[in-house]
Amino acid sequence: MTNSFDKRAGSGLMVPRRSLLKGGAALGLSTFLGAPFINRLHAQESHPLAGQSIEMNILGIAGWVPSSLGVKMSPLFAEYVKEKYGYDVSFNFQEAPFADLFQKAATSLVTRSQEFNIIISDSQWLGALAQPGWILQLNDVIAQNPALDIDWYSKTVVDTYMTYPDGSQNIWGLPQEGDVEALFVRKDWLDDPKEREAFKAKYDVELPSTFEDFENLTMDEFEKVADFFTRPDEQRWGFAQQYSRVYDFATCAFNNFLWSRGGELWDAETGQVEGVLNTPENAASLEEYKRWLKYCPPGATNIGIAEGIDVFTQGKVFATIQWAAVGPAMITEELEGKVLVVPPPKHQAPGAEPKRIYSMGGQPWVINAFNDEQKMRVAIDFMNWWYQPETALEFAKRGGNPCDKATLSRDDFDDINPWNRTYKFMLEDGRSQDFWHDPKYSEMLSVQQEGYSSFVTGQSTDAQAVMDYIACAQHQILYDSGTAKEAPSDSCAMTSL
Amino acid sequence: MPPVQQRRRPFARLFDNRATLILTLLAPVMTFFIVFNTIPTLWLLGLSFYNFSLTSGMPPDFVGFRNFFAILASKNGIWFDLSRTFTFVLCGVTIQTLLGAMLGFLFWGSKDMPGRRIALTLLFAPMVLTPVASGTFFRFIYDPTFGVLNYLGRALFDSGPIDFLGNPELAFWAVLAVDCWMWTPFMTLMTLAALGSVPKAELEAAEIDRVPFLRRLTLVIWHHGKFIMMLGILLRTIDSFKTLDLIIPMTKGGPGQTTRLVALELNKQAFESFNMGWSSAYAVLLLLISIAMTSAFIFVLSLRRRRENGA
Repeated sequence: MTNSFDKRAGSGLMVPRRSLLKGGAALGLSTFLGAPFINRLHAQESHPLAGQSIEMNILGIAGWVPSSLGVKMSPLFAEYVKEKYGYDVSFNFQEAPFADLFQKAATSLVTRSQEFNIIISDSQWLGALAQPGWILQLNDVIAQNPALDIDWYSKTVVDTYMTYPDGSQNIWGLPQEGDVEALFVRKDWLDDPKEREAFKAKYDVELPSTFEDFENLTMDEFEKVADFFTRPDEQRWGFAQQYSRVYDFATCAFNNFLWSRGGELWDAETGQVEGVLNTPENAASLEEYKRWLKYCPPGATNIGIAEGIDVFTQGKVFATIQWAAVGPAMITEELEGKVLVVPPPKHQAPGAEPKRIYSMGGQPWVINAFNDEQKMRVAIDFMNWWYQPETALEFAKRGGNPCDKATLSRDDFDDINPWNRTYKFMLEDGRSQDFWHDPKYSEMLSVQQEGYSSFVTGQSTDAQAVMDYIACAQHQILYDSGTAKEAPSDSCAMTSL
Repeated sequence: MPPVQQRRRPFARLFDNRATLILTLLAPVMTFFIVFNTIPTLWLLGLSFYNFSLTSGMPPDFVGFRNFFAILASKNGIWFDLSRTFTFVLCGVTIQTLLGAMLGFLFWGSKDMPGRRIALTLLFAPMVLTPVASGTFFRFIYDPTFGVLNYLGRALFDSGPIDFLGNPELAFWAVLAVDCWMWTPFMTLMTLAALGSVPKAELEAAEIDRVPFLRRLTLVIWHHGKFIMMLGILLRTIDSFKTLDLIIPMTKGGPGQTTRLVALELNKQAFESFNMGWSSAYAVLLLLISIAMTSAFIFVLSLRRRRENGA
């Protein structure tokens, strides 16, 4: 029997048609099934960690919504790197409250540990973390990863979250969450026709009711509104802000008065505090800050972030100055549609134009300088992923506050969250600022918190004496550390609370 | 069968020597004590002579006694903190001892009291709670807007809100009250232990002789129980001197500085500001004060004993 394969036609091999058809079908099926893998192989960039499984540790802030958002989004990063780079990553998280986070991070970093590979740091700690070499300087990382060379929304973002020393080009952090002070007001109380009528009758002006109304409002004008809604017999008060001695709560609230009324905390170039902080104008600002206690509920001297959320969500106050970052906590289900988030009022110092300069909040990502090569690579990949436009948008949709110009300039950004318009407004240059990033930040803050708490609670009654005490103590701290060029004056020996 | 001694291993024969046995039994404890107590204390002492901040990035710099002079010379510093701390200790220990002794006497003579066990369990419950937990829920209890105390004040007396922890005149006493609530049961325990050490025969003899209660207290009960009571007072004094974890959740040293005790300032300098040299010097000073207080107690105790032995 002649083997069909023996037949030759011309110069080619003759293959039976049935075999050819079977072979073609098999090839087509395998191509169809294998296409995703082939595509992935093509899509995957060659990466030194391909095929490996890495465990990463992030330290975040307990009970802080934006910090938890970053944590909740990490599975998206795991999917991203699996697809793009071919490695697996899993995350462990640890948390500590604001007041204890630096302690937790520092005690780990000082041992050169890799316990935390990425840290969500508060902006003021950049100096304290950078000076001893605990965190990675990012200038080279940004140069090698063009995706991290981002067009930020304003210079305020760079100054607050990225650079140390202040004004330098040294970059140590990248913004995880932008944050500004906003005024949360009860829109339903404002829209009540009876309330509007009563207010008009009492003050002969209309109750403000829109973003634009509040944008133009001064503290004097706002005081009428706060006074109008202060009704202790109804267990309602007009206003709340932070006065607590804990962490930086009183400082951030008082700085709003100090800066808006033209004051300064220090001279960053010379480290001079005495004579800069303890001016009569700043002392007057401290008195003004205390004066607003009369519109606040009882126990206001202990109001921090959590207490401020409580008094507002429980319907005790009409308006609260609060961080935009806690917007999701401020606008509960019961308060949906009843809250307006607007710029906080302008302050008017005697003889000056009304101005608003409020405290910056927010946190940068910082990378542990002691990460091994593997974890450092993952940390940098994480940053590249975090600042992708789609990730930033997803972060915003989940309630976070990104800082890049591209996301904030989207037409639909203002509509994503009720506070977004105010967030963008206050993030513009000149409206918000941060305080010192100096390594001695913690000591200086502690002195300041003690002083402000002492005054607002009545332990000390002389605002000028309190400011003198704080200025002298802080100046001494900076002089001892070598930051301040001149020693405090002899009159500092007489200061006390 | 060979005698037992010939079959014993050389290792076991080591323990025939009493000194060797004692040293072997003590070795683990001594090692632990040296590693976790002596060496850190010596390290602390050494560090107190250096200017060293963890966040400065600079190596330790030897400065001699400068840290000590700075602490002792600081206005608004250690002297104010010590005066507040001693006030806290004196008032707290006194109240706890008096209340604890009263409760101790109440339960001493009440073996047949119905519900005695339940009452004792409830009485000792605050002692087993952690100070942080107690501080946290008392902060809520004291809250002028949401707190139970103010709610009761409004309901029963129509009183206005009282800011216990925000008022500089009330905050110190509010924290002290919580400390007394927590540790009075400890003094009750010590009182019961002291009363239990009094020989029954002497008590019965005093009853038979119809000795008045106060004389019975001083001549019989106090005579036997004072050592245990003094020990309880000493332990409470030292513990009260170190109060920190109650204050942090309640006031964090505020309002202003009204509840800032020495331990709080030390914690702040060591674990918030990371001034290791300064805080080591501060810790050494506090250690010396604690040693002085303990020595004073022991001296007073031994003085009484010497008098009694001499008498």
